[in-house]
Amino acid sequence: MSGPARDNPRSISPIFWLLFGAGGMVSALFGPALILITGLLAPTGTGIPESFLSYDHALAFARNPIGKLVLLAVIALFFWHGAERLFLTLKDMKAGPSLVLKLGTYGVAAAVTLATIGLLLAIGF
Amino acid sequence: MNESRPYRRPQPGNWWAKPPYRAYTARELSGVAVAIYGGVLFAGLVSLARGPENWAGYVGFLKSPTSLALHVLLLAAVVYHVITWFQTLPKTMPKLIVNGEAVPAKKITGLATLLAGATSLALVLVVLGVTR
Amino acid sequence: MPDPAKRELRILRYQPGVDAAPAFGTFWVENAENLSVLEALQSIKDTLDGSLAFRWSCRMAVCGSCGMMINGAPKLACSTLLRDLPPGPVTVEPLNNFPIERDLVISVGGFVKKIESIYPYIIPKEPRTIAQGPYLQTPAQLAAYESFSDCINCMLCYAACPQFGENPDFIGPGAMALLQRYNGDSRDAGRQKRLDAIHGEDGVWSCTAVGICSEVCPKSVDPANAVNQNKTNSAFDFFLRFLRKE
Ligand code: SF4
Ligand code: FES
Repeated sequence: MSGPARDNPRSISPIFWLLFGAGGMVSALFGPALILITGLLAPTGTGIPESFLSYDHALAFARNPIGKLVLLAVIALFFWHGAERLFLTLKDMKAGPSLVLKLGTYGVAAAVTLATIGLLLAIGF
Repeated sequence: MNESRPYRRPQPGNWWAKPPYRAYTARELSGVAVAIYGGVLFAGLVSLARGPENWAGYVGFLKSPTSLALHVLLLAAVVYHVITWFQTLPKTMPKLIVNGEAVPAKKITGLATLLAGATSLALVLVVLGVTR
Repeated sequence: MPDPAKRELRILRYQPGVDAAPAFGTFWVENAENLSVLEALQSIKDTLDGSLAFRWSCRMAVCGSCGMMINGAPKLACSTLLRDLPPGPVTVEPLNNFPIERDLVISVGGFVKKIESIYPYIIPKEPRTIAQGPYLQTPAQLAAYESFSDCINCMLCYAACPQFGENPDFIGPGAMALLQRYNGDSRDAGRQKRLDAIHGEDGVWSCTAVGICSEVCPKSVDPANAVNQNKTNSAFDFFLRFLRKE
């Protein structure tokens, strides 16, 4: 028997898996609250004043360095989380060639991550 | 005479849609809701960068019945994600040994789910308090 | 009212070199209320068809030989009683996801190779002579791996694993349970060797945490825990290897 470690290249899956795990944990701890606040309470003005969604307030948040970090972490990690799960499910469904599926999932997450960084820089400090 | 001629039965292509695997597929797809919500936030960031008029359009969308319905659905899917996430959590950890005995997985799941409820609740209360 | 003492078994038959593909054969067994599925198969072999092939040894859920699909779910035939199954015909098939050698007998060679590949023995931290006495272990150190040592190599978990169904080279739940039995043992120093053996696509990274393997395990080994905690270990190893001094 040949040694098991030979002819056994290391997978690069850990990179995607850790991003998936980080996104899964952040969304598990704060996801319901975020959706409730930005998607339901603020738009209907329930317990949260109108000014919460004002342009100036949102801009101030996105210009604050901590606000920037929060936005980047939430948007990028949430995309990486969904990308991993969608990729594996589409692979289970044999929905297409692996490369196409990877571009449509990990590729989108990578593009959104870069775009988010670009937008946060463009918005200024 | 003795040579083996094994017969291979392929796995059905739709195994993921059939029990007991259906729940797993639903769990995975609930994670996609997390990314869709990420997309909603990303769209907001794009509108913000484009200026006040674009932002007003985005807020208009957030207030529309379509968006409210979407967020209710997303909330339901993400709550399902939270529950299943912590059901899977003990599988990814080494056995927790307390007083010489392994802590049951159900206990870890229960405590972690409670903690997640608390962190989400805390975030909502903080935002409600700060913006008052 | 059908006679409860008689039970219909629909058994997937395959004779290599004769049958082009497996097909079901039907048998009726007498005195069914008191029989396990294994005993029903034995009575068929004794009285109805001596050519029926299946594996068994201990008849008490210890040897792990008698795994088969019973009504579509992977089960030990010796610990599955006919009277506990819903009324109507009982289907019996060889374990899913494995090549069929003959009737209910599957090929186990691939599984044995996987077990060999993970160093299934203690690699001692410090060699001790007999004069130095035994290796000591506290109850807590035993509890850290003990459940993984309960695996009987029945391969039910493999029959339940769709990722093994897709990729026969995937190391799979049972072999990972054995790996964790040694990696979790305080006397062992082979952790890194074993992590290196499973860091590829066919190692832990084929697993998508479906989790049904743990549900079908007759010994509550929780192989899904063995696989997924080693995904965590393998992921840390991926990044920390640069900090490790060899
Ligand atoms: S882990 Fe359980 S199901 Fe898998 S081979 Fe071992 S005893 Fe059988
Ligand atoms: S005959 Fe040994 S486990 Fe069933």
